[in-house]
Amino acid sequence: MPDLLGSPNSGRGDREVGTRVEKRSSSARRRVADAFPPAVEAAGSPRTPLLLCQRVSKWYGPVIGVNHVTLELRSGITGLVGANGAGKSTLMRLITGHLRPDLGSIQVHGWDAGSTAARRYVGYCPENDAFYEEMSGRQFVEAMARLCGYPRREARKRTEAALERVGMAGRAERCLRGYSKGMRQRIKLAQALLHDPELLVLDEPLSGIDPVGRSEFIRLFRDLAALGKCLLISSHELEELEKLTDHIAIMAHGRIAAVGAVAQIRDRLDKHPLLIRIDVKRGSLHQEGVEQRRLAAALLKLRDVVGVELLDGQPEEFADPVLVRARNPQHFFQELTRLVLEEWYEIVRLETLDDSTQAVLGYLLRSRSA
Amino acid sequence: MSEGQSQAATPELRNGGIGISLTQTSEGRDAYFPGLLHYRSWRGAFRPPAASVWPIARTALMSLFRKWIFWIIYVLGLLIFLLFFFGQYLLAWAQTQAGEADVQLGGWGRTNPRHLIQLFRGLLKLDGGPQTYYNFFAYQGHIVMIVLALAGSILIGNDLRFGSLPFYLSKPLSRGHYLLGKGLAVAVFINLMTTLPALILYAQWGLLESWDYFYEYFDLFLGILGYGAVLTVTLTLLLLATATWLQRTAPLVMMWTTLFFFCRLLASALVDGLRFSPRWRLIDLWNNHSLIGRTFLGMPARPVEFSNQPPWYEAALVLGGVSLLCLTYLVRRIRAVEIVK
Repeated sequence: MPDLLGSPNSGRGDREVGTRVEKRSSSARRRVADAFPPAVEAAGSPRTPLLLCQRVSKWYGPVIGVNHVTLELRSGITGLVGANGAGKSTLMRLITGHLRPDLGSIQVHGWDAGSTAARRYVGYCPENDAFYEEMSGRQFVEAMARLCGYPRREARKRTEAALERVGMAGRAERCLRGYSKGMRQRIKLAQALLHDPELLVLDEPLSGIDPVGRSEFIRLFRDLAALGKCLLISSHELEELEKLTDHIAIMAHGRIAAVGAVAQIRDRLDKHPLLIRIDVKRGSLHQEGVEQRRLAAALLKLRDVVGVELLDGQPEEFADPVLVRARNPQHFFQELTRLVLEEWYEIVRLETLDDSTQAVLGYLLRSRSA
Repeated sequence: MSEGQSQAATPELRNGGIGISLTQTSEGRDAYFPGLLHYRSWRGAFRPPAASVWPIARTALMSLFRKWIFWIIYVLGLLIFLLFFFGQYLLAWAQTQAGEADVQLGGWGRTNPRHLIQLFRGLLKLDGGPQTYYNFFAYQGHIVMIVLALAGSILIGNDLRFGSLPFYLSKPLSRGHYLLGKGLAVAVFINLMTTLPALILYAQWGLLESWDYFYEYFDLFLGILGYGAVLTVTLTLLLLATATWLQRTAPLVMMWTTLFFFCRLLASALVDGLRFSPRWRLIDLWNNHSLIGRTFLGMPARPVEFSNQPPWYEAALVLGGVSLLCLTYLVRRIRAVEIVK
């Protein structure tokens, strides 16, 4: 496990918002939020983070759900991953104002997450899909639109737009009782999109969706991110999440173990050298393993390489694989490039084997539980 | 992740203290701007959070109206109202048809038909007096109890049981608005069953008798509103609290049976059977409602047939205390709804 520790107050956004909070207490902000409609509210400046969690902790009796989490998000997609009970859902409920933190503060666009003003910026798609089973999808979404504060006519327009966007416009008349899991997910997403929120908090949105639906959802999420929206998506579907974003926040035991691009998090895992497979082309039919051994010897001279393993290649491929374990991947790849160019190795395949989200998550969680 | 984000993203790795900036460049935004969501920016004024109370109530009522069992019980309640309505109408009509001449009543002798009708009115308590409305509230109350016990889980229990509450609370409204909305749904139902029909009976009697009735018995009008208000507030809070606590229909029915049937039996056994203090009747919530209702309608609090009763203000205190207890529980429970599974 690398030293991932750092001062929770060192982020740029922390300092900015700290100043804002000093100027106006949260209760005063809430009063102002209730007094003025959001259309005339002073929205956060472009430099203000959309979501800012500062040293947030939440206990469930003696059990700690979220432990001293600091997180700052602006626009784009962030995947929230972690094992069951890691605190993902609790963090999402804190962000959406369903729970109040026992310690720390959460602000959305500068407003306290529990205030109604903050909720105008947030769309929440909970994991639970229990609805009013006798209602039709359209009725449910429209009822939610009315709760957003839209007049009836506007609520209807937005309902239709949201249903169309999630591909439910033609099927929304049916009772929710008869909906499949995927259709329920779409309806949940529609109600979250109703008020065109800047921050979308989606708890397992891809769960139960068929492959076609998944690709549609992924495209929709990307489109939303491209519009400058901020999406926080928790998912157990790591492969799907990788298609969406390479930026993840990994939670373990209530804490955020790491945030950032998967590859960059992987680079920081010093105790787990990166596993790289390099297939080098044989010199001729009768030189099986010669180039392989030559490359292995050269690799072992590199400072970042901690181990080399020679694998048996497939006879018909005319290439022999070398498995390398290396620290400091960025430097290693620079050295490898130089080596290949100087020594003229014919590399036919170069693949990192354990820099997927799954592998990174596995390393981090194993390290934390150890 | 868009291209712009990838370029701008600067990850920081910390244990519990993270900051990332995912700022999209204008270049990236232009490149990826899709034709997404047919939204135009909303320029109107949002309705205040308090405006969400009625949509919540409406949603709850619609859920209730979709149940066939509700309509069966509602029709039963309607039958009681129709009995009073047409009973009053029939007697008023009969009075107009009756002549001055005496009529023979079998072997019992002759009597004036108008006196006979007055006698019926007095016996049936269909004379537009306080007793008429008191009886009506009492009969309707039983039906209301049954419906509320069955409807509690639909109105609020299922929200907690199946976790629908986050859908409400993720919208720009507070827990207070949610509770108000649900309470409004219960209140609408109670008043549809009790206060509104009672007011219709009041209006009918005034129209059948004379306009003077409205002036002379205006206090009855206020009494009906007052009795209805007491029923509405206490039963609404009690239903919300018990439905939030028990959530399922069967335990809810058992709880309401205990509160309104067994407590009544127990109070009667203690006071009438074992000669305990009449204050023991205060455990009978429905009796407390009746005492306050009688006071509102201007009826004597302790007539002969209603003996061994505590004073009405003690009943009011008990109902007030129960309401306060329910309110406190609701506030705490809804606040902790995400925690207590």
